[in-house]
Amino acid sequence: MNQLIPAIRQEAARILQEDIVDVVIGFKAGTLPLKAQPAFITREEDARKLVYNGFCQNNLASYLTRRPKEERMGIICRGCESRAIRALLLERQHDRDKLYLIGVPCVGIIDWRKIEREVGENTLQAGEEGDEVIVSARDGEHRFQRADVLHDSCQRCLHPNPVGTDIVLGDPLPEGDTERAWAPAIEFEALPPEERYAYFIQEAERCIRCYACREACPMCYCTECFVDYTTPRWAESMITPSGTQAWHIIRAFHQTGRCVSCGACERACPMDIKMTYLTDKLNYDMVQQYGFEVGDSEKAQPPFAAFTLDDKNRFVR
Amino acid sequence: MYKTLSKADLPKLIANWMEQATVYAPVRQGDFTKFQPLSDPAQANLYFAANTRYPPKALFLPQSEVMFRVKDGEFESTQDEVSSRVILGIHACDTRALQLLDGVFLAEDYQDPYWAKKREQTTLVVLGCADPCETCFCTSVGSGPFDKRGADVMLIDVGGEYVADVRNEKGQALFDHLPDASLEQIDTSRQVQAAAAAKMEKPFESEGIKDRLYSLFDSDFWRHVQQSCLGCGVCTFLCPTCYCFDIVDEAQRSERVRNWDTCMFRIYSQEASGHNPRPTNTERTRQRIMHKYAYFVERYGQIGCTGCGRCVRYCPVDLDIRQIICGAQTWEES
Repeated sequence: MNQLIPAIRQEAARILQEDIVDVVIGFKAGTLPLKAQPAFITREEDARKLVYNGFCQNNLASYLTRRPKEERMGIICRGCESRAIRALLLERQHDRDKLYLIGVPCVGIIDWRKIEREVGENTLQAGEEGDEVIVSARDGEHRFQRADVLHDSCQRCLHPNPVGTDIVLGDPLPEGDTERAWAPAIEFEALPPEERYAYFIQEAERCIRCYACREACPMCYCTECFVDYTTPRWAESMITPSGTQAWHIIRAFHQTGRCVSCGACERACPMDIKMTYLTDKLNYDMVQQYGFEVGDSEKAQPPFAAFTLDDKNRFVR
Repeated sequence: MYKTLSKADLPKLIANWMEQATVYAPVRQGDFTKFQPLSDPAQANLYFAANTRYPPKALFLPQSEVMFRVKDGEFESTQDEVSSRVILGIHACDTRALQLLDGVFLAEDYQDPYWAKKREQTTLVVLGCADPCETCFCTSVGSGPFDKRGADVMLIDVGGEYVADVRNEKGQALFDHLPDASLEQIDTSRQVQAAAAAKMEKPFESEGIKDRLYSLFDSDFWRHVQQSCLGCGVCTFLCPTCYCFDIVDEAQRSERVRNWDTCMFRIYSQEASGHNPRPTNTERTRQRIMHKYAYFVERYGQIGCTGCGRCVRYCPVDLDIRQIICGAQTWEES
C-alpha cells in the first residue's frame, strides 16, 4: 500500500500540471498518529504531501457536495468512495465531466478505537509494515495484526476495488465474501424483537445529536435535514429517547439503497455508537428484494429514489 | 489548608459525602467515562480514561434543560430544589471552563438562575493531572494541569495517596475531618505539580493572538483551513467552554426547552428572512476560532479555551485547533 504513494503523488501532480483539475482531494499526514487529514491540493508541488495508508478515516466523497459546483476535482478514491461518488452522480449531485477519479484498491481503515483500547490514549507514533500495525505509546511499542484492528465495516467489506474511475493505481484485490458481509445483519435480524430493540435503545441513548454521522456521510447532503424542520416536528431536538431514536431510524431509512456501507458514520461518532447494523440490514434487503446494490451500475436508479410508470404498486390498495 | 487521604480510603469518603449530597464522578461507559451520579462509591473510576468525552459543563448547563412547563394552561416551574452536589474527579481544564462560563452566565447585569443555582449547590473536588495527555494544551492558554482557579478542593496524586489542597469553606465541609498533610507530602505534591506542567509542550504562542486574528478577519486563511471541516457539532458539544443554546417550545410536550446549539451548523445563524450572515463554512469556522481566541478575550480578558483537547481528539477529520492557531500566527497572504 505504501508502494502506491509515489504513483498517487505522481498522478495528482500530473492532473494539476496539465490543468485537468483545479484541486486534488486526498489525505495528508495528520496531527494525531492514528488519523490522517483530508488534503486539498491545488499546486502540483504540494502533491508530495499526499499519503495513503490505513489511517485515512474519512469517505472523501463527502466533499463532492461541499466544493464549489464549477470546480474540477481530482479525487483519490478507494472502493467505497468510488461507489459513493457513483451514487451521488446518479442523484445528479455533480458532473462526471468535472471529476477525475484516481482509483486505489483499499486494504481497509484501521480503527483507532481498537488500538487505544489496548495501548491507552497516548499514542506517540503509528505506522504499518506489511500486515502489521506498529504503534508506539508511552509504555513502549505495540504490534497488531492489521486484520484484527480494521474498522468493523472494513472487516466486512465487499468491494475494496474502485469502480468507474479514470485510472486505477495498484493491483486489484479480491472482492469480499458476501456471507461474511451480511452475516451480522442476518444474525441480528434473527434475534427476538425485544433484544433488537434493547440494543437499539442502548446504542441510541449515548447520542448527543452532534450529527457527525450525518456530516461524515457522503449521501447526507440535504441543505435542510429533516431534524431541522419544525413543521412538522419529525424529531424533537431535545436529548430524549423519542427524538434521538427518531433521528437514528429515519436517517437509516433515508439511506436505503444509497448507503455504500463505508462505516464513516461510526468512525465519526464521538460516543462510539454502532449504527451500521441498521443500514447494512436495509442494504441487504435491497439486494434480496430488488437485486440492487448501490455502486454496481452507473445507470440503475436506486429503487427508492426513482419510479417508472409501470412500477408494480402492490402496496397500494 | 492541606489534608491527606489514601486512595484506599476514597470510597469511604465518597460514602460519607453521599449521606448529604449527590456525588458525581467519572463512571466507566464502554471505552470511555462519563460523569454520573453515584449509587455506589465503587462506580467512581477516576483513572480509566484521561478525561471524560462528554464535558462536565453538562452538569451545569444540561444539553437539554426544561425551562418551564405549561400544565392545564398554567405555568409550572422546573426550578425544583437542586440538591447539594459534589463533583469528584473533574480536571483543572473543565473547572477553569466553568469559571469562564461564570463570566457569561453570572454577568453583572444578568444572572442566569438555572446556572447560578447549580453552581451554588455544587462543590468541586478537582483531580489535577499528574500526567497530561499528548493532546492537552492547557499551558498554552494561560492555564495548567493544576490550575486551582474555580476548585473548592484540588487533589494532587502523590502515589498511594492524595494531598488535598482545600481552598475554601465548601471544600472544608468535605475534608475538614481528615488528617493534615505532612510537610513532606506537601513538598512532594509541589514537585508533582511542577513536573506535570513542565512535561507539556506548547504547540502555539497565544501572546497577541486576539490582535493577530482580528488582522486576519478578511484573509484567505479561513477559506483555506475550513476545507476539511464537515460542519458537524462534535467540537462544540464536547467543548467545556462552548455555551451557545437554542430555546425551543416543544408544543407536543408543553415544554420550553433550552438545548445546546452549535455555530458550526448552517441554520445556527439562519435568519427568518432567509438571509444568513455566515452563509458558508468559511465564515462559521472563522467565527468558531475567533470566538474562543479573540472575541472572548475582548469581552472577558481571557482566552475562551482551556486546552482540554477534546476537539482535537474527536474531530472526525482531525482538524486540529492547535494547528489552526499556529497557522494563524505564521500565515502569509499570497
